[in-house]
This record gives sequence, structure tokens and C-alpha cells, in this order.
Amino acid sequence: MQDLTAIALEVAGSAGASFADIRIVDERRRHLFVRRRSLRSIRDDASLGYAVRVLLDGAWGFASSTRLDAGGVAATAQRAVQIARASRQVPKEVPAQMAAAARHVDTRVGPCAEDPFAMPAGAQADLLLEASNRMMDVEGITATYVALDLTRTRRIVANTDGSYLDLTNTFTEPWINCTAVVNGESQSRRYQRGGRQAGFEWVREIDPVGSARGWAEDAVMKCRAAEVEPGLYDLVLDPMHLSLTMHESVGHPSELDRILGWEANFAGRSFIRPEDIGSLQYGSPVVSFTVDNTLEGGLGSWFYDDDGTPMQRFPMIRDGVLVGVSCTRETAPLVGWEASNGCCRSDSFDRFPINRIPNLYMEPGPAGVTPDDLIAGVDRGIYIYGQGSFSIDQERRNFQFGGDQFWLIEHGKRTKPLRKVTYQAMTTEFWGSCDGVAGPEHWQSHGTPNCGKGEPSQSMRMTHGASFTRFRNIRVGDGSR
Amino acid sequence: MRTADEIRALLHATLASTSADEAEVRYSDLRELGTRFGDNAITQNIATARESVTVDVYFGRQKGTVETLDLSRDGLAAAVARAEGVARAVPEDPELVPLPGPQVYGARPPSYFADVAELAPEQVASDVAQVVAAARAAGFVASGYFEAVAAVEAVANSKGLFGHQAHTDLRYGTTLHGPAGSGKAAANTSARAEMDVADLVQTAVANARLAQSPTAIEPGDYTVIFEPLAAAQLLAFLVFGMSAREAAEGATPFSGQVGQRLLSEKVTVGLVTDDVTLPAPVFGEAGLAVEPRSWVRNGVVTRLRHDRYWAAETGESPDPSLAPLCMAGEDRSAEELVSACPRGLLVKNLWYIRFVDQKTLLLTGMTRDGVFLVEDGQVVRSVKNLRWNESPVVFMQNVLALSHPERVAGWLPLQAPAVMSADFTFTSVTDSV
Repeated sequence: MQDLTAIALEVAGSAGASFADIRIVDERRRHLFVRRRSLRSIRDDASLGYAVRVLLDGAWGFASSTRLDAGGVAATAQRAVQIARASRQVPKEVPAQMAAAARHVDTRVGPCAEDPFAMPAGAQADLLLEASNRMMDVEGITATYVALDLTRTRRIVANTDGSYLDLTNTFTEPWINCTAVVNGESQSRRYQRGGRQAGFEWVREIDPVGSARGWAEDAVMKCRAAEVEPGLYDLVLDPMHLSLTMHESVGHPSELDRILGWEANFAGRSFIRPEDIGSLQYGSPVVSFTVDNTLEGGLGSWFYDDDGTPMQRFPMIRDGVLVGVSCTRETAPLVGWEASNGCCRSDSFDRFPINRIPNLYMEPGPAGVTPDDLIAGVDRGIYIYGQGSFSIDQERRNFQFGGDQFWLIEHGKRTKPLRKVTYQAMTTEFWGSCDGVAGPEHWQSHGTPNCGKGEPSQSMRMTHGASFTRFRNIRVGDGSR
Repeated sequence: MRTADEIRALLHATLASTSADEAEVRYSDLRELGTRFGDNAITQNIATARESVTVDVYFGRQKGTVETLDLSRDGLAAAVARAEGVARAVPEDPELVPLPGPQVYGARPPSYFADVAELAPEQVASDVAQVVAAARAAGFVASGYFEAVAAVEAVANSKGLFGHQAHTDLRYGTTLHGPAGSGKAAANTSARAEMDVADLVQTAVANARLAQSPTAIEPGDYTVIFEPLAAAQLLAFLVFGMSAREAAEGATPFSGQVGQRLLSEKVTVGLVTDDVTLPAPVFGEAGLAVEPRSWVRNGVVTRLRHDRYWAAETGESPDPSLAPLCMAGEDRSAEELVSACPRGLLVKNLWYIRFVDQKTLLLTGMTRDGVFLVEDGQVVRSVKNLRWNESPVVFMQNVLALSHPERVAGWLPLQAPAVMSADFTFTSVTDSV
């Protein structure tokens, strides 16, 4: 491959590029999808393509192709140069430049104990069908959705810094949902752990067949649960639920490209201003967040990002104060930083790499603090398990979340199940109301496989995590209020 | 770009290479030119080309699918072999439906234009420059995405079906931000000659000017006037909820509603194939011919969407496509809706819409790019963005008046009017712009 990557870099260099890279992506993807008792789809796709990215006079050009030979690579690089020249018509106030980076030559392969592509597709389909059938066998269940995405991505990234990276990651991402209709009420129950950078061992660990009946019974139970009475409640949130809340209200607003206004047309901007880094009181003193793109099994642990920057672990919020944001080699210099923290990724060979949420988690509280300790401190509250409905405004202030399951807390005890619970809050007020976090022994991770951002839209994966956490006086509704 | 005859030969050669009982082969050639801008400058500029073939093979009720980007003889042979291997390995599907035979495809207005397919990046950048210059002159910051797409699709199967279609799509959208408000303008056209960049710029600047200096308004139930861009988003959620099978299972508000007046008698929604401003595919799922459909007529649910299996189970014809959607309107402008409104909120755009309750289609979302208080038929002031919690079913039940329909920019080909509707529920306010 190095002879081909050299051609692209030579074409860009001859045109006067200050930076260029070529990213070759060889991807294998298997997708299985069961609906009710039917194997609706099984795909086993392969793709090999590449893109050349050129920074010329502070303006970007990008072109992709599937023609991976000397002539094809040269033509694609020329096309990227042409596009960079066109971009110069509407230049940036400060011409784009890449933060300096060391040269890296490396080959890395991510964790995968049981190769999902070495397994017969039929065995995987049988397992999904069995899980689905077990859910359908429960009275009241009308529909199921059981899917499995298996992806192996090999990226070769070569750039004008002299870096040459050969990186392989495997992702296993299940999707499971069942719907019950009981006495005219319809409720769904979803599998909550998400995906992992792993092989088929992740499917075995979550045990869809063994868990199926319990999930289905939960859906039926939800139909019979009482509707919540809207009002102010304390909330105790489980790690799966919090993973979505932190994704939307911490992960997205702390993307530096949003902060700079580059996503303003679609994904939106951020309430964070560049000058807030280091001083913004984001939450209460018990709130600390860490970025860790080296997390074992993390969906965002790619060794190096698509800028060729090594992935890192760094603090984002400490004792309630915002101390860091995610960035790329292009955005880092715009806030005076000398280097990127490695958060630039693309979802396929033909998409431009952009600032993406990294693996991001909330630090646990003191050892020995249990979820029951948090609940014991609540007089009138709601315990929420898992993820449900979610929506947040375009600068990431006003949000509304649902959940998968809900229980009323009365006088320090979980009493009865509820349904149709939603809560609304403003980001910094919500995190400011946090007054209790369970210990590290209760910390769990959630792999988010489908974060959407960008134009054209890109889907990205990352892992979040938290322990059980308590919030005070949050406005709860029944979805309609 | 391959000709239709070359594509037909490629697909037929692929079909001939399989020993499966039945097979379907689909071809796609997607070319995109996409220019993003933010903070008054181009931030990304891409050109992509992705040509692919997808092979479905069937052995009895066993099916396997493989997509490949390697369209060489060896690449296609490998894809067929892998699909056969998958199909032989997986369980039978009790819901599998036999492939359809040859179709008769209806005529369509032209939808593929060389002036979009061959658009140069310099031309798109020049269009972006117009927006940025106007934004700067007005004291705003421009962002946006200008995209030119040229797409060719074809399908062939072992029962003799062959379909080929091509379209171009020029999608321009921009948002101008001032210190306290934003204004959006967006347009989709099939031909570059139809794209009026000057009008786009003028609309965005006017909307941004109007949206500055918003003040908070108390959340609650309001009469609303949703401009077509906002109304179209609720319309899409409504129609995507019209699954016949899920209705039969009691999981949606459409259960038992076919033939019933569920919505306001002013609401009529259908799939149209002959509107020159709304490109319609000639074929959809499995190569089936796309034909006009009525989903709602004068508030009465006339039809729910049947996939191929559910259509076979219920004796209905399948619906290979939901779109292009057209919601009929009335003979007045959006401005006349404002004039007829004693008190309400004019909403330009919506954002981050998600289900809260599938059974009732209850949604939540935000307003965006301008909300305005209307009193005595006049826009009196800009108000801060609001969260809302409402079902599109209720929104369409409470319709008071409609404007002329117009093509709405977005990924889904759709025509919608501005909609004035009563008692729309807003639940909280935000400072976000």
C-alpha cells in the first residue's frame, strides 16, 4: 500500500499542500435483523475505498474513490487539489493549519477474542431468532426487533508528517427491542448495554437468549404500571440512562468545532464559549468527567484518530469545573493549544473526518457508596433505568429525557413501577443539582453505536460510563407536559 | 458513468453466475459534491463517488445478501459466492415473499439534469460566496451545506424484472446567526437552472433580521402557524407511523382507523408521481412500480402502508414507497394565515424531534430559526425558542387553515403547506439560538 499512499502525498505536495493525508479503509460488515419470528435480513458486506485530504493555502479539498491503483490514486489526489483551490474562494479568517504532530509508524489490532466473521452466519442467525422467539412467546408481546451489527475496519492512514498507520478494530453491536400491547396500552423494553469493541464474546456476555424472557416480561409490566403524576422529584439514575444524558449534555457541547460555530447549520452550536474552558461551573463539586480514548473495549478506542493523533486520556470536568474539550488538529490552534487531543474521526472512507465525541465517562463517587444509599436519601423521587426518549436544543441547554423503566421512590424506598416518565432540565442546572454518586464498584459502561453529526450525516460510535447518581428537584412530566 | 444498457448487462451477467433458485441484483452509482461552510468560510469541501452492487440470492426460503464496491468480474463473482454461502447457512424465513416479475413503470417528469451532475466545485463555492458576502454585509455569520447529488439506480431479478432510474438533486441550505437569533433558508431542485441563489440569500437575511432580539414567552397551549419546513417534519412522522401491520397489532393510533375520520377534514395526503417539482422514483422495494397513493383524504385514513409480506397476508397490494409525499393545501398564502390569526405563534423550523410515546405518536422537539408572536393578524415580536410536546395526530386534528403547498427542502421529497393549528403544547423555554 505504501507505494499508493506515496503517490497521493506526492501529488498533494507538488501542488503546494501544507498538509495532506490518504486514508484507505477496508471494511467488512455483517448485519443480521430479526423481526418477530422472521429473519428479515442478513447481509455480509465488504467495501474497500479511500480518500485524499489536502490542505492548500489554508483551504481544504477532499476526494474519495474505490479505484485503488496508481492511476486512480493520482486522479483522486488531483481532484482533492482542485477542490481545495475552489475552497479558497471563501477563505477562513485565519487560514486553516494543522497543529504539529509527531511522526508515527505503527500497526495495531484491537481486542477480538472470538472472531465474528470466522463464525457461521447461520449460528448467529439461530441465536437471534431464538432470543426473538422467546420474547414473542410471552403473552402480550406483539413485535420484536433483534439485530446484530458486526464490523471490522482496517484503516491505513498516511500523511505528510511521515506517519504511516495500519489500524484494525472490531465492533460488536446488538440491538434488541420488544413491544407489548396490553389492555390498549403499548410499551417497549430495550436492551441497554450497547456495543463494545470486541468479537462475538460480547454477544455471549449479554446472553440475549437467557435474557429474552425477562425483557419481554418487563415490557408487559410497563403496560400495567401507573402513570406518573407530574411535579418536582429527586432522580436516581442508573449508568445506562446517564450514558445518554451525558452524551447529549456533556459530550456534544464540548466538541470544539461546535463551540467555534462550524456545525451551526445543522447539528447546532454550543452554549460553551472558548473562554469558558478552565472556568465554567458545569456541575456540582461531585461531578467529574474524563475522556478516555484508550479505554479497553471502548468503541472510540481507535489507537490513533483520523488526523494521525494518538488517542488519549484527559480530564474534561473536574469537581464541577469544565477543564477540557474535545478537539482536532485543525481546531486546537484556534484556542491556543499546541496539539490535538485526538478526537477527529470519520465514519467511512468517503466522509471528511470531523470532531467527534470521544469515550467519555463520569467518575464514580467514594468507594462503598451504594445505589441503595442514594435511594435512602430520597423522600419523593423516581429511579430511572435505561435509555428512552431524548431531545436537546441546538446549543445543548434545554433537554428532555425519558427512560426504559421507572420506579417511584417514597421515603427512601423503591415502591412501585411507573410509566411515561420524562424529565426536563437545563444542562448546567441539572449537573449542578447532582449531590450523590455511587462508588466505583457500581460503575458500568455503555457503548453508543449511532451518534449522528455532520453534513453529509455521519454515524459514529463511542463508549460512556457512570455509576448510579442522584439529582435533586428535577421537573418530571408524563411526556405531554 | 455507465449507460443503462451497460448496467443491464452487468446485472444480467451477475444473475447468470448464481445457482440460486432466485436472485435479485441492485446497482447504485452515487456521486456527491458537498461544500460545508461555517463562521463565514468554507470548512469542508468533498467530492465522492461510490458505485456498488448488492446481490440477494434465495434457496427456497433461505436468503443471503452481499454488497460489494468491487465491480470487476472477480469481485462480483466473490460477492455472489459469499451471498450463496450465507443463504445456505441461515434458517428459512417464514415471511419470505417471492420476487416480483417484470413491471410496467409509469412515465415521470425529467429528474436528471447534466447541469447538476457536472457541476464544478468552483461553481458551488461561488454560490457559497454569495451567501457569505450577504451575511457579512448584514452583520450575520453564515453556515450551511450546499450539495449536488447525481444518482443512478437499477434492479434486475431472475424473473425478468429490470428497472433503471436516475435523478439529480441540488440541495442548498444556509443558516445566518446574529447575536440573538437565526434565520434559515433552504431549497431543493433537480436542475441548477431552477436554483435561485439570490432568493435563498434574501430569504435567509430577512429571516435572520426578523429573529433578532427575542423575548421569553410563557409556555402553554397556543394556536400555531407552522411554515412548510416545520409542518413537513410533523407530516413525515405522521406518515411514517402509518404501518398497516403495527396498526393491526394495536401499537399505533391508526389501529382500526382505515375508513375513519381521524384528522381534520382539511387534511389530504398522498403519494404523487406527476408533479414536476417533486421527483418521484419509478420503482421502489424489490423493483416494484411506484404508483400514486392516497393515505388520507379529507381527514379520513384511506390506506396504511403494507410491506410485501403484510400485503400478501392481507390480500392488499404492497406499497414499495411512501414518498414523494404531498399534503394538499388551500388557496391562500402563509402570510394570509398570519393575517387570520388573532393570537398565536409563527414557527419557522423544528429540531431534534423524537418519539415520547409510539402508541399516540407523541413527540417532543424544539423550535429553531425563528418563533414569532402573532397578535391581531400581525407579527408583533420575536420570542425565544421553545420545547414542545405534541402528537402530529393532534396537530392534524386541530387544523384551522392551510396555505398553498410548496416543495420543502430535505432528504425526503415532500410538498407541504403552512399549517395553522389550535392548542399546540409548548412546555419550556430556552435561551439557545
